[in-house]
Amino acid sequence: MTLQTVDLRKAFGGVTALDGATVRFRDGKINALIGPNGSGKTTYFNCVTGMIRADRGRVTYRERDLTGRAPHVIARAGIGRTFQLCRIFPRMTALDNVLAAVRPAGVFDALRGARHRVETGRARGWLTRLGIEHLAGAPAGTLSWGQQKLLELAGVLMTDPDTILLDEPAGGVNPALLDRIGTLVRELNAEGRTFVIVEHNMDLVMSLSDHIVVFDRGRPIAEGPPSVIRTDERVLGAYLGV
Amino acid sequence: MPSVSSRLTGGAAVLLLATGLLSFPGLAPNPYVLSAGIVVLHYAVLATSWNFVGGFTGYLSLGHGALAGLGGYGTGLLVTKAGLNSFVALALAMLLVSALAVPIGMAALRVRGASFVIVSIALVLILLLVFQSWASLTGGSRGLVVPRPFDLSRPEHHRVFWFLFSGLLALALLAWWLIDRSRFGLGLKAIREDEDKAEALGTPTFAYKLVVFVVSAAFTALAGGLYALWFGDLDPVFQFSVLTGSYLVLMALLGGVRNLFGPLVGALVVGVALEYFKVEFGNTPLHLVATGVLLALVVLFMPDGVLPAAGSLLRRLRPAGEQASIRDVTAAELRERRRAEEVRR
Repeated sequence: MTLQTVDLRKAFGGVTALDGATVRFRDGKINALIGPNGSGKTTYFNCVTGMIRADRGRVTYRERDLTGRAPHVIARAGIGRTFQLCRIFPRMTALDNVLAAVRPAGVFDALRGARHRVETGRARGWLTRLGIEHLAGAPAGTLSWGQQKLLELAGVLMTDPDTILLDEPAGGVNPALLDRIGTLVRELNAEGRTFVIVEHNMDLVMSLSDHIVVFDRGRPIAEGPPSVIRTDERVLGAYLGV
Repeated sequence: MPSVSSRLTGGAAVLLLATGLLSFPGLAPNPYVLSAGIVVLHYAVLATSWNFVGGFTGYLSLGHGALAGLGGYGTGLLVTKAGLNSFVALALAMLLVSALAVPIGMAALRVRGASFVIVSIALVLILLLVFQSWASLTGGSRGLVVPRPFDLSRPEHHRVFWFLFSGLLALALLAWWLIDRSRFGLGLKAIREDEDKAEALGTPTFAYKLVVFVVSAAFTALAGGLYALWFGDLDPVFQFSVLTGSYLVLMALLGGVRNLFGPLVGALVVGVALEYFKVEFGNTPLHLVATGVLLALVVLFMPDGVLPAAGSLLRRLRPAGEQASIRDVTAAELRERRRAEEVRR
């Protein structure tokens, strides 16, 4: 059993962002969530991760009900996420950005030094894997956009999530880095991490994902492997506005 | 790891502080100067206590004056009404204020930014009304006289309290330093940078904020209580004044909120200036104007405070290359580096 939502609804004033989103993602796979602008993809992420409260509906993850739980509870349940407009801690160093994701086991553990050898080693390990180890001591705000996206991902990986939600990983990223992100997602997936990716770059979505869910007006209208989605008439209709 | 030079600077600062604290009572020419020194030292403890919340989480509380007032009245009332030993009363008042800080924090820390500032002001105003109108208990605007803990001459009384305040300052600085280097501290700083992001990374932000608020309240209450025992006379208008909180914010910002010694340096500058303005302008509102001008100047020219400004000046004079140490940077440094980056491109 994996991440799934039943009848998720959310309205902002009179605007319905989510209109009964019942979705079930594939465990251990790379899932994609696509749809035209304003179809509710980011709102869906925000409801799943507890950043905003859904008006109705349920969120369950591995048979655990996460509906209405605080974001940190959901993060600790094993769901990590990145943000559409890449969020990092700009005045902290890159290394501290990753270390900030360490979760203390109790009161005394929380009072131990933040730069404990074991955690620092792990954090540096992620920075190395993402190719930004040389920037460990630099203030995160001075990193380039692409580097910041990698840094955000390093922080999320430091929480050791089973499922990672990526909100537009390709947004504003150059082709070389895009390749690297694609490879990275495949590798991490091979290591057993499930992905749910919101993305507008169709080449990336079609080449990367095993399972695609298409949103339109706050609810899923189609799902299936890339080969099926590519030719689905409802999907074409939603994108072309027919 | 902190670089050798930053360790040396830290060691030198501690040594300088210890020397200053130990020698001032001997150097003060008369009891008046010593008592003015105690007022400034009391501000230093309050500003350092304030900085547990302000510096780590970025929540600017104007309500800390009220927590100090509660500590003062708590101590005073436990001595006068319950007949407790002065320092037992002080400890008990600290515990009571800490307990009270839990519901206060739970209410206030739900809102961020400007809303939090407003809520913290409301706390002061509400408590002022309560302590003024509940005259049967607090003495109302007639004030509350707190008996002195020791039977000493006035100069000796000042001397003893100078060292008591010094001990409290050392304790507050030690606690701040411990949190600063801990995982808890890193989580708090993450809240300051981006609270939602910190939460999304698994930090229980509300619990973190609440714990540090209670720690801050405990130290603030101790400072308020010690002040009550030293000064011996409490008046709600001064104990529950928005001005106190504003002074603390001014001191911490002026010195630098992300530096261990920032609020202390700020308290030295502002505290001395306040005492001076009071002597100079007497009972006119001019000392408020002067303080306001000081705040405006700081915000305009040293948004990160005196210490970081001095630090970046020093670094500019030093050869490049040793700046890669892992530490917090200030907004000004960040801007500067970005500019340098752009020039390089």
